[in-house]
Amino acid sequence: MATSGSVTESIFPAQEAQVSDRDLDWAVVQKVQSGNVGAYDQLVQKYREKIFSVVYNMTSNREDAADLTQETFIKAFQAIARFKGKSSFFTWIYRIAINTTMTFLKKRSRRRFISYENIDEEVSNSEIFERLTAKNQTEKGALVNELQEKLNDALQKLSLKHRTVVILHEIEGLEHAEIAEITKTSVGTVRSRLHYAKQQLQGYLKDYLG
Amino acid sequence: MSQHTKDSQKEVKVEDLLRLKRAERPDDAFWGEFDEELHQRMLQTLVKKDPLHLQIWRTLSGRLTQSVGVACAAAFLALMVVRPVFIGTTSADLPVAQIDNSALTSTSVVEVAISDLDVSSIEADHDYSIEGISPNVESSDERFTRDFGMEGFELAMDADYSSDEASMRPSFGSAGVATTLVY
Repeated sequence: MATSGSVTESIFPAQEAQVSDRDLDWAVVQKVQSGNVGAYDQLVQKYREKIFSVVYNMTSNREDAADLTQETFIKAFQAIARFKGKSSFFTWIYRIAINTTMTFLKKRSRRRFISYENIDEEVSNSEIFERLTAKNQTEKGALVNELQEKLNDALQKLSLKHRTVVILHEIEGLEHAEIAEITKTSVGTVRSRLHYAKQQLQGYLKDYLG
Repeated sequence: MSQHTKDSQKEVKVEDLLRLKRAERPDDAFWGEFDEELHQRMLQTLVKKDPLHLQIWRTLSGRLTQSVGVACAAAFLALMVVRPVFIGTTSADLPVAQIDNSALTSTSVVEVAISDLDVSSIEADHDYSIEGISPNVESSDERFTRDFGMEGFELAMDADYSSDEASMRPSFGSAGVATTLVY
């Protein structure tokens, strides 16, 4: 979301952008609440990729992720009249997405076939892949596929609570406080879960570390 | 080259690996399909019927309200029909066993009951003469006086019972309605 360039933005860019985003979202939400249903599309366009990413990393299945992302937007649309703006729309819709995904994963009795998204070529040419290729003496293409599989496997081995925290922090880049608000826990709990989850992941991915 | 070697020797951390997941993104074609499906689903949601369990609940609750309404109306009608029957019932037809006799043993209660009697309503009853029930009757016939005492007692019972019954009627009616409402 583009924000107006200002002096304050250059001093506190993240905070300024967040405040501005929250206000902009709230304005759109109010439009939807007053009957302008078409305005909801702005929110969908803005958050669909972020929501999809969270759900995809939690499920490791692109079809399920697409389905659950759509379900999230439908649920949010149905409940938008009750949204009072106490939290940001961003926090609210993330919470809906995570709850919807958790409910789905708890109901899913057996693990489904995992389907991956393609990794950007830019990333496969990145520094980290260079290091990994050098370290493992493997062909880059094979390493990309192998690492993708191992990462998804490792994430799936984590409990839902630990997986959620690690995805929101390490992959989505959210702050501890934001995660605490989304998951309705304390910042301390978020930190503790994150620490534990990373320890677990270190064990699962030890062949690639160091 | 030396820079490349130096970078390659840096440690790889869990955080570095997890950040690679950010690069797993769907292409534009995926989003086109996604938007189309989402719009379809949202439209379906807007026109979709409620789930079966909600429909059943609505039907049942509608019928329950209807049943309660009908039951109330029936109870009211029954009350309207039964009430005149009770009013026309003679004292002999009414269940004497239900009277609380202990409350009537006191002489003063009997006297008050007699004095409160509406004489005009008793006029039609040939079993009792006005003289016979009047506390002001003066008679030299001792036997009559004793009879009067007994009759007066019976009458007091009747009068008392009538008044209780009269006060009971609405409560009976309301109890009936209450029972219906509970069901």
